[in-house]
Amino acid sequence: MSDFDPILLTVNDLATTFQTAGGPLPAVGGVSFDLKRNETIGVVGESGSGKTVLTRTIMGLQQRTNVTVTGSVLLDGHQMVGASEGDKRALWGSEVAMIFQDPMTSLNPVMRVGKQIDESLRVRLGMSKADAKARAIELLELVGIPSPAHRYDAYPGQLSGGMRQRVVIAIALACSPKLLLADEPTTGLDVTIQAQILNLLDDLKERLHMSVILVTHDLGVVATRTSRIIVMYAGRIVEIGSTREVFSAHRMPYTRALLESSPKVSNDPHTRLVTIPGRPPNLLKLTQGCSFAPRCSYATDRCHQERPELQPADEPGHAYACWNPLPKTRKRTVKTT
Amino acid sequence: MSNFSQMFVEEELARVEKPEKREPLGLLFWLCVGWIGLNIIGAIFANFLPLIDPLYQNYNALNAGPSLHHLFGTDDLGRDIFSRVVYGSRISLSAGAGAMLIGFGFGAPLGMLAAYRRGRFDSILTNVMYVFLAFPAIIATIAILSFWTPRSLLKIIIVIGVASIPLVYRVIRTATLNVATKDYIIAAKVQGATDRRILLRELLPNIAPIGISFLLIGVATVIALEGSLAFLGLSVLPPTPSWGNMINESRTILQQNPWLAIFPSLAMCLFLLCLNFIGDRLRHHFDVTEVKL
Amino acid sequence: MLIGIVFIISVGSFYLIHLLPGNITTVIEGPGASPANQVKLFKLLGLNRPIYEQYFTWIGNVVHGNLGVSFISQTSVAGTIRAALPIDLEMILLSQIVSFALAIPLAMRAARKPDSWLDRILSAGSFTMLSVPNFIVIVILVLFVSVKLGIAHTGPSSYVPFNQDWIANLESMALPTIALAMGSFVVYFRVLRSDLIATLQEEFITMARSKGISQRRIMWRHAFRPSSVALLGAAGVNIGSLLAGGFIVQYLLNIPGLGYTLIAAINTSDYLLVQGIVLVVSVGVVLINFIFDFVINIVDPRISRE
Repeated sequence: MSDFDPILLTVNDLATTFQTAGGPLPAVGGVSFDLKRNETIGVVGESGSGKTVLTRTIMGLQQRTNVTVTGSVLLDGHQMVGASEGDKRALWGSEVAMIFQDPMTSLNPVMRVGKQIDESLRVRLGMSKADAKARAIELLELVGIPSPAHRYDAYPGQLSGGMRQRVVIAIALACSPKLLLADEPTTGLDVTIQAQILNLLDDLKERLHMSVILVTHDLGVVATRTSRIIVMYAGRIVEIGSTREVFSAHRMPYTRALLESSPKVSNDPHTRLVTIPGRPPNLLKLTQGCSFAPRCSYATDRCHQERPELQPADEPGHAYACWNPLPKTRKRTVKTT
Repeated sequence: MSNFSQMFVEEELARVEKPEKREPLGLLFWLCVGWIGLNIIGAIFANFLPLIDPLYQNYNALNAGPSLHHLFGTDDLGRDIFSRVVYGSRISLSAGAGAMLIGFGFGAPLGMLAAYRRGRFDSILTNVMYVFLAFPAIIATIAILSFWTPRSLLKIIIVIGVASIPLVYRVIRTATLNVATKDYIIAAKVQGATDRRILLRELLPNIAPIGISFLLIGVATVIALEGSLAFLGLSVLPPTPSWGNMINESRTILQQNPWLAIFPSLAMCLFLLCLNFIGDRLRHHFDVTEVKL
Repeated sequence: MLIGIVFIISVGSFYLIHLLPGNITTVIEGPGASPANQVKLFKLLGLNRPIYEQYFTWIGNVVHGNLGVSFISQTSVAGTIRAALPIDLEMILLSQIVSFALAIPLAMRAARKPDSWLDRILSAGSFTMLSVPNFIVIVILVLFVSVKLGIAHTGPSSYVPFNQDWIANLESMALPTIALAMGSFVVYFRVLRSDLIATLQEEFITMARSKGISQRRIMWRHAFRPSSVALLGAAGVNIGSLLAGGFIVQYLLNIPGLGYTLIAAINTSDYLLVQGIVLVVSVGVVLINFIFDFVINIVDPRISRE
């Protein structure tokens, strides 16, 4: 694909299955979507919905044994599924990068942070030692770390949680990748720091012209920072559409349940927290019907027997997987913070 | 390895290697248990087995190779190697069992108590033990045994047993510390359980797997140690057969009679291998990590 | 802390000899010694003075490098030790070089692809090896080398000092080196492999992979350093026990190191020499542990901060 192609990433019918002692575990199934350049798409869902496995599979970082990946992931013309380790490695860092949830465990604890940034620059871009160091310090400054030259020599343990995550971002962006996969980048941080990091990401993706896949279980995070949202449940996409549509004109009851269950500042005091009854399904024992049916208050017989495929809604780009969707309306009363 | 560094290695591995789910014990495991059992039975009931007298010297068959009559052949004094190996197992097994009985009998309760009680008792005792640990026990063992004549199995058991107390203490104490700081112990305490109950019902079952696997490795180490001591003439002396002194005797006649070297060595190595394997499997089977969400 | 331990060790080694049953004078003079001679000797050795006085005299001498003169061999104890010690050091050095040179790369290979055929063979092999006591290793080695292959190797004077003829020296050290290296290799391989496998599952390794750096670099630059802590710990213990326990190998192969000398000293009831060796070896072991702890702290700064 040429550089003028607006679509950066095409995922088609991607499925990841783990071979476990209890049988095959379909962590991700039938996922398809496109991602344009400079677009940010959010992926939301509960724990165990397959969000993390999805990002790792897209990147090709999943474990090497006892896992089967089918489908296609086309990143700027490169096929990631079934590619050799060497081919994938050529893309990691320079085309696509990832940031993980817990900055303490994603940094090498016995290596100075500066060197960890250097490494990408020298190995991937072939920079000399001096150049790499200079650029690393620039990157530290870019991600908002005070006295970057001094911090270059710090060990991860000497930095606070927020600063560590900034370092992780610096490492990921070192070689200016076109796609950034952010897997719950703020979940492990203090609430006050979360906004800072998210704003930083927004700023950087503008400046560096990156596309971002932002994975989170926190809807407040995606509300204002994404142009589209994917809602996942039990490893499959159950709703996908523009952020506005998904928030105010969603059709899948699960999406509504998800939205309703996040506590809002605008609620009256002592409003009962809404929860979704039941628990996410055991992926080893999936039933034939819709995975959400056992917990859905709108479930019909068909829902229990037949798994719904994604069907398009009114607005182009909006699709949902449900036999008994919520009626179309102009606006929903579920407000976001 | 006839030195205590193996116990250290096992400590390290126990800390690092934690399988995610229960690994089955496996066929090989039970085979090893069977072999150990066979050896034990052989040692205990040697008198009743149809064996040639281990002390009888048959001058017609010196350095004979293996045959139907002499399954393992004979040594340079015409003694049947097979029966000597069987009788010899008594020495090795008793040494291993006896020394570990002493080591664990004293070291384990002390270690558990110290880890549970903490405080001054713990600090003083642990420091004392660590000082003893710093002193190379092998040398003291050799020195003491060489001056404490005449040679006897009991002396070996006592000396090695006592020398192993500090190491057992440290291992059990560390294991107990890891468990005692877990929340469910604190919960039990808060619920008003007596110390005795906590020790027996909560702590013991949790350190038992590691304890048992170290016990087995300890037995293996002692058996190897007895072998080394035999070479220095510090173990039981011939004509009483022991695996160690048989291998020692074989050194001078290696060219004429390799069998005297081979069979006792095989017997010892197989036994040690089974012990180590059982210990390792038990550790893998019981010491499972907490499931990560 | 270190001083404390050394002090206690010195008391221990000193007292050890005096705890042993048997009258030193009969040993020195021979069983037929007359009581009068025994008393004279007793006084000469200073054995009639209170024990703590004996201890302080001895320690005073030790600090000056004087470990006494052996009554049996009439040579200076310190001198004997000084002659024997380098041999031990050479043996340890050679065997450790060999075992590390083999263990580190092989463990890295094995950890990279756990359960591959290479890994399985190495792991099973090393597990088996650790069940073979080192004296058996030597006996079997000797059986094959000298008996089957017909290479003469040991005799009373097979050991040749380094400065005389370094080729013959290395030849004579070959067997002990192999025997000790095998034992050490087993320990290092298992510990390193285990720790590497655990380290490789940490998230920072996945992050490093996602940077696009090669597997080789990840192994050596990222995984090795945290894992080497365990290796260093094992090395400290192992080398310490080699110093103390290398006697069996020396005794079997007639290498006149400290261990060999110690056995000979015990057999001739040369208590001064025994005392001296025990002291030197114990202090040596403590020193080794101390040095290794120090190095571990440098490699992994987390330890000192925790």
